[in-house]
Amino acid sequence: MKPIIEVNHLTKEYQLGHITSLKESVLNTFRRLGGKPAQQRENFKALDDVNFTIEKGEVVGIIGHNGAGKSTLLKHLANISNPTKGNVIVRGSVAPLIEVGAGVNPELTGRENIFLNGAILGIPKKIIQQKLDEIIEFSELEQFIDTPVKRYSSGMTVKLGFSIATSMEADILIVDEVLAVGDIMFQQKCIERMEHLIKREGRTVLIVGHNIRQLERICSRVMLMDHGQISNDGNPSEICRIFFHEAQERTLTRHKPVEGIIPPQSDAGIIQVTNIEILDHDGNCSAHVNFHEDLTLRITFECSKKLIRPEIVVGLHTSDFVHILSVSNALADIRQDLEMGKHQLTCRLTDIPLRPSSYNLRLAFIDQHRQMLWYAENIMPVTVLPGRFNIARLPEIGLIDLATSWNFKTLSHVNGLV
Amino acid sequence: MIKVVKNLYQYRELIAALAWKNIVIRYKQAYLGVLWAVLKPIMLMLIFTLVRSFVGIESDDLPYPILTFAALLPWVFFQESASEGVSSVTSNAALIKKIYFPREVFPITAMVTKTVELGISFVILAGMMIYYKMVPTIYALWVPAIIFYTMIVALGISFFGAAVNVYYRDMSQALPVVLSLLMYGSPVMYPLSLVHKKLIEEQAAGVWSNDLYTLYTLNPLAGIIDSFQRVVLKGLPPDFNALYPGLILTLVILPFSYVFFKRAENWFADVI
Repeated sequence: MKPIIEVNHLTKEYQLGHITSLKESVLNTFRRLGGKPAQQRENFKALDDVNFTIEKGEVVGIIGHNGAGKSTLLKHLANISNPTKGNVIVRGSVAPLIEVGAGVNPELTGRENIFLNGAILGIPKKIIQQKLDEIIEFSELEQFIDTPVKRYSSGMTVKLGFSIATSMEADILIVDEVLAVGDIMFQQKCIERMEHLIKREGRTVLIVGHNIRQLERICSRVMLMDHGQISNDGNPSEICRIFFHEAQERTLTRHKPVEGIIPPQSDAGIIQVTNIEILDHDGNCSAHVNFHEDLTLRITFECSKKLIRPEIVVGLHTSDFVHILSVSNALADIRQDLEMGKHQLTCRLTDIPLRPSSYNLRLAFIDQHRQMLWYAENIMPVTVLPGRFNIARLPEIGLIDLATSWNFKTLSHVNGLV
Repeated sequence: MIKVVKNLYQYRELIAALAWKNIVIRYKQAYLGVLWAVLKPIMLMLIFTLVRSFVGIESDDLPYPILTFAALLPWVFFQESASEGVSSVTSNAALIKKIYFPREVFPITAMVTKTVELGISFVILAGMMIYYKMVPTIYALWVPAIIFYTMIVALGISFFGAAVNVYYRDMSQALPVVLSLLMYGSPVMYPLSLVHKKLIEEQAAGVWSNDLYTLYTLNPLAGIIDSFQRVVLKGLPPDFNALYPGLILTLVILPFSYVFFKRAENWFADVI
């Protein structure tokens, strides 16, 4: 069977700057007629020789930083834009959920908008009528369905848009950052609906998003885009990890400590952190730690005032700010007064259970009245290496590994042939 | 051309829904509602009637108000369809950037919207005919054909204009000005018979008279308005001599206009 989507050497160029004025177009026409070169504006390649195919039933996530060409690519698949070079072959009907609610008109009521948007998405009126109750129910807007949309909250509008768009029965769904709609409850519902469409009905889906964990969960394949090209394509968890890594490197170059003083995000002006080091178990400076081994941090700081029983919190988070770990000297009840002056704190985290990947350090100083004295996230990367473990044996998902014991007991067994 | 009709049929529900939306949102929060749609021809009719009381315009032995209203009916329909059509693509920029369907849906929708308003004007015209005790004859059956022809003329302008307007917004500014000038070049305030009398019978412009008359009727609206008045008010068949120069011009322009639109369409989403 032929792939449902085929993209060959797709290139899209945009001209930078403002559209040529009438005068310039006329002048350019004369220049061209006169055999002279016309004035050219600078070109920008939004997509640069992109090639891929997608089979029926695949769920493909597209990730990449802003301006990498993700939305431009979707626009070509939805036939909204036309390529400069190359071609796009789509074998099936496409439902573009690009920013749901594009066609929602504020003057019309919810119900009227269902019919209007249905028509815009090409759903026959008969089918909308059949599905009307289902759409209204899913949108949770029963009470407001006959109120003009201009009186809706923004969340309600998006809920309405999503409910209409997903009721369309197309072969290919194109989704651009729409899963980030509504409150947590509704988001959950949206994801369930998407998963239902994907698993039960076998739709082919393309999703663009920034919520990498969500994509990792839904997709069977992920493409990473960079500067208009597909830089990586394949297994979701692997590609997502590459993406995280790149994002991390970028944040690092952004967050260089200034002359030995680590810039805090919030600061009461009492504490200055001058140095943070990771030590391996020989006491040497390092940038990483082995899986299930100890992590030692040495923090050098200065106080301009005597601190009474301060609390110090050390934590690790992922590059998308999932705070996986926080430890505090308060829980261990090792709080002591600190005189004005320079101090060095050594903190040892035993048996790091985080799966090998790159994490980020956060640090907080809190005084005895629970006032924040100093706080910073994303201070420096802490890379967990596999060490003595064979990482291939680790389950594919999960962030934390615990010491476990396993015990098999045979309750009954069958001898010979069954 | 067959493809156009096929597309039209395929997207009929969309066109209907968009036209319905246009009408609903325009009049939803207005107390007088759809009545505003017919205000323009009525006001113009009153003004023309007033002006005529000073300058004296022949009215072919018909009451002047109804004669000019019957002229304003196709004229206002044409003028509004064309100017709405020209700005229809740019005013739907949000949709154009998000979803694909043939873009000619927009100018056509603008025209369909205006057809509904035209329908309301017909009710007023019928009321006036009752007031003046006029009975339509069998020739009134020409009306749908005349309206259809008016649509074609309006589309010929909208397709080209809408495409140009995506690149240069000057189009939607210039068109209303040009069209309001064209109104004086069309037999709206005065009947075509007056022009015919001056140029053909009295040869007022000397040797140029016949050519000038052809030039005048090259404006499709001249034929349309005259035919409309003839079949509705006078109980006569349309005057084909007045119709054909404009018809030929329209049939030449429409395909070019449409092809231009379809070629420009590919870049709408990038440029708009």
